Amino acid sequence: MTDGPDPKRLDALSKKLEAARQAKKPVKAEESHYTAARVGWQMVTELVVGLLLGFAIGFGIDHLLDTRPWFMLIFTMLGFAAGVRTMMRTAQEVQEKNLTKDAKAAPIGKDKMYDDD
Amino acid sequence: MSAEAEAAGNGFNIHPMDQFVVKPLFGHGDIGVFTITNVTLWMGITVLAIIALLVLGTRGRAVVPSRSQSIAESIYVFVHKMLEDIAGKEGLKYFPYIFTLFIFILVANILGLIPGAFTTTSHIAVTAVMAMAVFTTVTLIGFYKNGVGFLGLFWISSAPLVLRPILAIIEIISYFVRPISHSIRLAGNMMAGHAVIKVFAGFAGALGVFSVFPIVAIMAVYGLEMLVVCIQAYVFAILTCVYLNDALHPGGH
Repeated sequence: MTDGPDPKRLDALSKKLEAARQAKKPVKAEESHYTAARVGWQMVTELVVGLLLGFAIGFGIDHLLDTRPWFMLIFTMLGFAAGVRTMMRTAQEVQEKNLTKDAKAAPIGKDKMYDDD
Repeated sequence: MSAEAEAAGNGFNIHPMDQFVVKPLFGHGDIGVFTITNVTLWMGITVLAIIALLVLGTRGRAVVPSRSQSIAESIYVFVHKMLEDIAGKEGLKYFPYIFTLFIFILVANILGLIPGAFTTTSHIAVTAVMAMAVFTTVTLIGFYKNGVGFLGLFWISSAPLVLRPILAIIEIISYFVRPISHSIRLAGNMMAGHAVIKVFAGFAGALGVFSVFPIVAIMAVYGLEMLVVCIQAYVFAILTCVYLNDALHPGGH
């Protein structure tokens, strides 16, 4: 029987590992691409839904009170504001998430930088 | 290729939306509340598939899990960790609910990708009910935990007094925006992907030899759909967790 690990096989294995790691990288990039698109869509739907919801509420009130188009106009504007508000909140959440991600990734590099200074 | 496509013109037989038609399973006629339709069938299959995975798959209770047990366990741990990260320890009480939602959407989406299957989650009627259930639950939990103070979510005390009622209306509308945009997004994503595949399939039928291109495109879209399907289930679950967190700790994050 052979003694200890065969260096040739170890080399081959490390090459394979490297190849596997390389193969994984583009997948990640594509995923982040997709995430960006997803956030975009989320914001768009929120904006539109806010507008439509405001319109629907106004339309309903008008229908009950026979005051068309006044509540419709007012609530469409309020709905638009609500849509923007939701959208901004989503944007804020995404930003916060990115910040915490960066903060998690950064410290090691940062400490070194401060030490050098 | 495009010249040929144009030449075929009206020869195309593309009905991308036909796959979303709800039909009664037995006989013909109107669809009432209790009519058994293809939606019912595929929801039933979804539930059976989940039972097969979670109950039958983990029956062995092995320390070294079998393949199905390992899938079930990794999904369980994944959702558990997600909920704990977002809503904290108190959120774990609601784990069964979140897990049910996640696994139902995931399995329904994946089953929808089987050729010839019906995608139940492509209907807003289905996704909206789920979103409404989440919305109602979270609102009730919010009131139960925080009492009337939950309404403080809509009363922005930092704004000038005159503006507050208007802002309250805006806040209330925006509180309703997210569940709706949720259900639209889930249904829209599923519907769009499946319709695109169907359109390409229609091209493939009309192009003869050149149908290689649409078929390759279908493969690519199908691969993307696999990703979309899982991500949509994840997004639905994670946003439910976020709501839950808002209801448990209003104001402070």
